[in-house]
Amino acid sequence: MNLFSFLVGLINLKSQKYKYNKSYSVSKTAASLSILAAGFCYCQKCDLQFEGQILDLHDDSPISLAVVRVLDNDQTAFTDYNGFFKLKNQCSGKINLKISHLNCEDLYQELNLNKSVFKKFYLEHHIESLNEVIVEESKIKELSSTAHNYLLSGLQKDRYSGSGLAKALEQISGVNILTTGNVISKPMIHGMFGSRVGIIYDGVQIENQQWGQDHAPNIDQNAFEEILLVKGAGVLKYSGDTPGGVIVLENKLPKINDSLYGKSILSGISNGRGLNIVSSWTKSYSNGNYFKAQAMIKRIGDFSAPKYILSNSGTNENNISLSFGKNKILRQWKTNFSYFSQEIGILRSSHIGNVNDLVYAIDLAKPTIIKPFDHQIDLPKQVNKHYTTGIQYSKRYKSNGKLNARYSWQRNNRKEYDVRRGELKNKPAIDITLNTHDLLSNYQWKKSNWSLDSGVFFQIQDNYSNPDTGTRRLIPDYLKTELGTYFTAGLTPSNNFSLGFGFRFGHQNNHTKKYYKNKRWNEGNYQDKLGAFVINEVLNQKLVEQRLIFNNLSINTGVKFALSNRLNLSLNLFHTERAPDIAEMFSDGLHHSLATIEYGNPFLRSETTQKFLVNFEKEIGNFTYNISPYLTNGQNYIIIEPTGIEYTIRGSFPVWEYRAVNSTIRGMDLDFSFSLNNSIKLRNSSSWIEGFERTSKAPLINIPPFTSTNFIQFSIPKFKSFFMIVSNKITLNQNQFPNHNFETSVVENGVRLNKLVDISTPPRSYHLFGAELHWGPYPFFSDKVSLSLIFDNIFNSSYRNYLNRLRYYADEQGRNMMLQIKISH
Amino acid sequence: MFKNLHTKPITALFLFILIFACSKDEDPVPANEEEVITLVTLEVSKVGSSEIIKYNFEVEGHDHDDHEEEKDDDHDGEHTEIELEANSSYNVSMFIYNDTDPNNIENITLEVIEEKDEHQIFYAITDELSGFSIKSASDDTLDSNGNPLFNKTTWTTTGETSGDVVGYLIHEPTSKTGNTRTDFGGATDFEIEFEVHVE
Repeated sequence: MNLFSFLVGLINLKSQKYKYNKSYSVSKTAASLSILAAGFCYCQKCDLQFEGQILDLHDDSPISLAVVRVLDNDQTAFTDYNGFFKLKNQCSGKINLKISHLNCEDLYQELNLNKSVFKKFYLEHHIESLNEVIVEESKIKELSSTAHNYLLSGLQKDRYSGSGLAKALEQISGVNILTTGNVISKPMIHGMFGSRVGIIYDGVQIENQQWGQDHAPNIDQNAFEEILLVKGAGVLKYSGDTPGGVIVLENKLPKINDSLYGKSILSGISNGRGLNIVSSWTKSYSNGNYFKAQAMIKRIGDFSAPKYILSNSGTNENNISLSFGKNKILRQWKTNFSYFSQEIGILRSSHIGNVNDLVYAIDLAKPTIIKPFDHQIDLPKQVNKHYTTGIQYSKRYKSNGKLNARYSWQRNNRKEYDVRRGELKNKPAIDITLNTHDLLSNYQWKKSNWSLDSGVFFQIQDNYSNPDTGTRRLIPDYLKTELGTYFTAGLTPSNNFSLGFGFRFGHQNNHTKKYYKNKRWNEGNYQDKLGAFVINEVLNQKLVEQRLIFNNLSINTGVKFALSNRLNLSLNLFHTERAPDIAEMFSDGLHHSLATIEYGNPFLRSETTQKFLVNFEKEIGNFTYNISPYLTNGQNYIIIEPTGIEYTIRGSFPVWEYRAVNSTIRGMDLDFSFSLNNSIKLRNSSSWIEGFERTSKAPLINIPPFTSTNFIQFSIPKFKSFFMIVSNKITLNQNQFPNHNFETSVVENGVRLNKLVDISTPPRSYHLFGAELHWGPYPFFSDKVSLSLIFDNIFNSSYRNYLNRLRYYADEQGRNMMLQIKISH
Repeated sequence: MFKNLHTKPITALFLFILIFACSKDEDPVPANEEEVITLVTLEVSKVGSSEIIKYNFEVEGHDHDDHEEEKDDDHDGEHTEIELEANSSYNVSMFIYNDTDPNNIENITLEVIEEKDEHQIFYAITDELSGFSIKSASDDTLDSNGNPLFNKTTWTTTGETSGDVVGYLIHEPTSKTGNTRTDFGGATDFEIEFEVHVE
């Protein structure tokens, strides 16, 4: 924490210093200041010597016979064999240079002279098709040539800069969020989440125990300039086992010139009385070096529902990321480091003892514990830390091939604190550390109408559960290794037709050591199947060592037609195979918020899914629409469902176990936009989805209900720097849900009653209204400032959300007002 | 070209795998369940008598083989019957243990007494048990507000009757007094159920 605030301080210092000197480097700033000082004596020295060297940007080789011309006085010098030049008798002050060479683009540079200097300049020595390369590097990377790529707009990205990745993505139709309270949210794409959705940052998949329903991604999206999404396993380069979809966070390469730029966003929110500051800075040099730093700090207190405070729902977050690299256009390398740290309070009332407590909580219709507003985070809570460090290198060949190599190390630590007794009070009940090393190498070929990409990847992952928690391990210790390869091809025979194909194969080896309680061992009849793997027996527990091997092949194929200028149709088929994750096979523990005991199933096999995705896009005048139906069939689709009730001295607990079923998920996303005139624009996004087990036709759990969001955007032609958005979101109630209700016996006021524990019925439908007012950008010294005022749930309606795991305990958050100040430096 | 470019990294990867041989060498330490309550004992003695009868409650929790058959019992789990004489008074003490490790039985009663402000024991008596009452005993633990914890109680019987009693240990109750379980709020640490026979 101390280190962090120090770094933030440093960045702030930097921002102060550079606020008024946008495009100058440190030396230039110093130079201009001295010029200013010198200016007071009304004299100009004209005996300065200006020397330099001209180098090739790509390989630092000297460029001879380049012309260096001072435009102000028309003095000229040629570079010698070693690229050196010398200009004598220069006057102090600002000079303009033009550097030219036969094979290079002219370089114009402004320089402040106050003493004799030596300076290096880099010219771009053209080789064939380099222009093409530069153009390609600077544009947004297409994740898939045939499946629709969704890109979050800058405005959306900024608006949700303080709310986490999932909430930013929720703006895309077909994307929902699965939440636990107000802060913990996971993206859900077409009804799938967790291990079925891949989040790729800096080219590797984030490994942060993503199987958990209450494990939000440990990532700060503000460290990335672009957030892209493909609904389906359409990006085999990065992942083949995420049938839900792939979210890719990327940074653009900085331009090769001397500059310093950045962006800061300051957000204050009324609900939770929180503050969020994001600042990112990039310093680039003309020799291709660059340095990026980004930091975020967030403090939010207890959120409020319309009628009460949601006690212990606040959060703190401190993130920092640094990267340093060199861009030589034909060669690039980069090294990066990032640290993510988050402390999340869990609604105090949701920590219950047994099912009878749950019944009471459901009956009460408001939280059992409501305390005055507080910024303090008490128990229960989660403390998550994620460290990433990595290095990457890429090189282009004249054949238009590009070789990439990448290594990354992620370390994730998750601590979950329960409300406990005695000395255990400040001990986490869960303390798991996951170390993941990824090594990837790929080669891309690109020609005008085709592109190929193939690579190999290797991952080694080690999970360690701290035994010192005073609880049984929720997931066992394991070591996972995966070795694989992929190949993707894109073909564009003509402008209006493209074809895509790809496969990814992975060989995965899980080496696990897990303690089974004898009771569970006997109940599950594990002796026959696992008896041979017992390596030790202690205290009514058996230690079982297993090596589980999974070979998974995922295949994609797709076509995209441009039927006319304004009509696009794409068809994609994704076949994915996913090895069951460690929690699905081995989880073993009590979930306090639902009072359920969850057991993994060690006999699960790989889950396979086929997803057929259609995207139909049409533009008629100022009316654009996009219809995207999809169908997903799953075999061995792994779900969790109640299988019985376990009676313990603590009371009764429903037991939920993982099971494989055949499933179907189908749905449709619809987006349209219509420009009424220059000042009014209408937009709608709707999605409908249903999921069920194929044999029993029983609905799947946690499938989002129908939602439809309408936006009306107003602007006033007179005031170019203002616009306003009014939005309305309708969420219908989900009437297709599995009925997992059961009865429990309670004694109330001396009478024994059988009570229904209604954990299944989804909440009622609801409407939410919001408004956004945006001003700017306005020039502010050399910066640009924008201002936004945003209202969520403007009418303060009370509602509950089917996809919130804590919906039994409290209403969702009420009205929120956010003031956002954005400064582009 | 493909071959040349990829042989090296692939060889390197395989070497890497061979070197690291990918196995978890050390066995994980068994995690001790430190906070679970596995055994609750009621020690019942008639006022004036020195004889103490112990009633043990230990549904699941740990794995004594003699409890295996009980899992198919009705939903009340283990059914303990406590026989009392009519028109009498009994001193009843509650003891709470974690006996997961039989060599190191932990007496949680002491912890609960220490954290008396954050705990409450409550006996819910069903209406069938008419004339039967449970009151805090004179040697009961009092919290900082003077509320009895109910770990030491006096049970008084009148006429012949029988019915169920549920004993709860409530962690961080929202109220320390009440007439029914829901009055206390908090989280249930254990819930024991028994039938009282007054004859």
